[in-house]
Amino acid sequence: MRARILMTAAVLLQFLVAPAFAANKDVVDGPLLDGGVVRPAEHQARASVPATFSHDKAIRQIPQINPGEYFIPPQIQDIPTSKYGQMVEQGRRIFTDTQRYAGRYVGNGLNCSSCHLQEGRKAYASPMWAAYPMYPQFRNKTRSVMTFEERLQDCFKYSMNGIAPTLDSPEIKALSAYAHWLSKGAPINQELPGRGFARLSKPRDPNSINGEKLYRENCAICHGVDGQGQKFAKRAGYMFPPLWGRNSFNRAAGMSTIKDCAQFTKANMPLGKGWTLTDMDAWDICTYIWIQDRPSDPRFGWLMNAIMPPVGGN
Amino acid sequence: MLVLGMLLFAVAGCKHGSGDKPLITEGERLATKGEGAVPACASCHGEKGEGNGAAGFPRLAGLNKDYLAKQLQDMAREKPPEGVVMEPVARDYSKTPRVNSDLTAFSPGLRHSPVMSPLARGLSEQQINAVSAYYASLSFTAKPLPADFQTLERGADLALRGKPEYGLPACISCHAPNGEGFGADFPPLAGQPPKYLIDQIDKWQTGERDNDPLALMKAVANQLTDADKINVAAYFANRTLVVKGQ
Repeated sequence: MRARILMTAAVLLQFLVAPAFAANKDVVDGPLLDGGVVRPAEHQARASVPATFSHDKAIRQIPQINPGEYFIPPQIQDIPTSKYGQMVEQGRRIFTDTQRYAGRYVGNGLNCSSCHLQEGRKAYASPMWAAYPMYPQFRNKTRSVMTFEERLQDCFKYSMNGIAPTLDSPEIKALSAYAHWLSKGAPINQELPGRGFARLSKPRDPNSINGEKLYRENCAICHGVDGQGQKFAKRAGYMFPPLWGRNSFNRAAGMSTIKDCAQFTKANMPLGKGWTLTDMDAWDICTYIWIQDRPSDPRFGWLMNAIMPPVGGN
Repeated sequence: MLVLGMLLFAVAGCKHGSGDKPLITEGERLATKGEGAVPACASCHGEKGEGNGAAGFPRLAGLNKDYLAKQLQDMAREKPPEGVVMEPVARDYSKTPRVNSDLTAFSPGLRHSPVMSPLARGLSEQQINAVSAYYASLSFTAKPLPADFQTLERGADLALRGKPEYGLPACISCHAPNGEGFGADFPPLAGQPPKYLIDQIDKWQTGERDNDPLALMKAVANQLTDADKINVAAYFANRTLVVKGQ
């Protein structure tokens, strides 16, 4: 409680002190850059991979994926034609087109597969086959042991910025059935390679100014310079999901923290070119994304949201 | 009187809702009759821009205008001199040290074709815009090609899910859910002759085509096997597609 009061005081103090710096605007925005001055680059020029695949650095950076390294979930053709199979199919529909099949629980423009890439199969994009066998599990966020179904509810509340379906709702049942089917043959309660996100090093403190530059170079082509993504032409929802703004995940979502975002970005973005950004690039880009506006944390009222510093900044 | 007439003309133009009308007319003339050394586009790409499946000439009808114009510009571009390092990513070089920015050149994109490159060099910028606007204005209805069940099943698996265990994304994640294409950067796959799609992936693998933003497609093409190309091209040729001209 005392920590929270101190933090609030610090934020208020910022507002009081800020006008003193406002006069010297160049210093606040960072120094003016002079093209004639030779100075160390803010980010390393990288070989584009695999355009120059022989580049030593690139080879070191990109992990060679060997067959059998990651768990392979069953094929879509192998869904049984039983009641269970129908439930799995419904779960897959909800997973890939949440806007249509579970739209009443969703408050933004995302689908499950916006982050859990390739229908929840992609390693290091929180694949379902690695998540499902790990539940029930203790979760630091709620300080309690959670079942998989309760975890799905949290996805709806935070990442989808919506309301949680009840535990006995057909949506939760279908999504559980789909995750259950995807993890067919996976060991129970054992961490599989590719679970969750990638692990990153952090050589220096991240820099949102560098992050903005990197964002415009690497991300803006799909997610837009304004971060609002691009909508499907013929159906509801986003083909390239919005990264901030009111159609994106809210402040309490895991992806809104710099750490989770960077770990996801490193392994998966730009799409099809995972592991080509350096660790520091991923941190920088996500710091730039983190400082943008997004829906508030539903666990707090508007006052706390207004005065609390957003979580996940470090 | 003259002013009034011009106003009326402007209003009439607005009513029809096509400011590109003269551009499209010029493009149509170029596409159907050709000009000078440049033969008619229709002689290879079909009467209505529907392409030629047997020869692998792509469909042009209903494609994005900016995409078509960029392809023609890239085909017309000369190869850079040997030893120049080309990067596929447009960087803000005003923000990097001069030493680095002098040594590295941003590649606007190269797409070499023994047939098309000389023809594209014969077109002016105005003609490129005109012919792109004309083909973008055409409507198109695909004729789905039959294929055997296993090929389609494997093609669908790659098109809808990619190869997650190898980090290869699904085709539909950029080329839109039905392969109908998305914006100026992601061209349609449905309604294209399978031979054309396979040829293009081959060209990415050999480096003859290198004009995709961020080298995204190059990264994908380099992971595709020959069987993948055949399966996925058959899958997209099997799709139904109706495109309304812009």
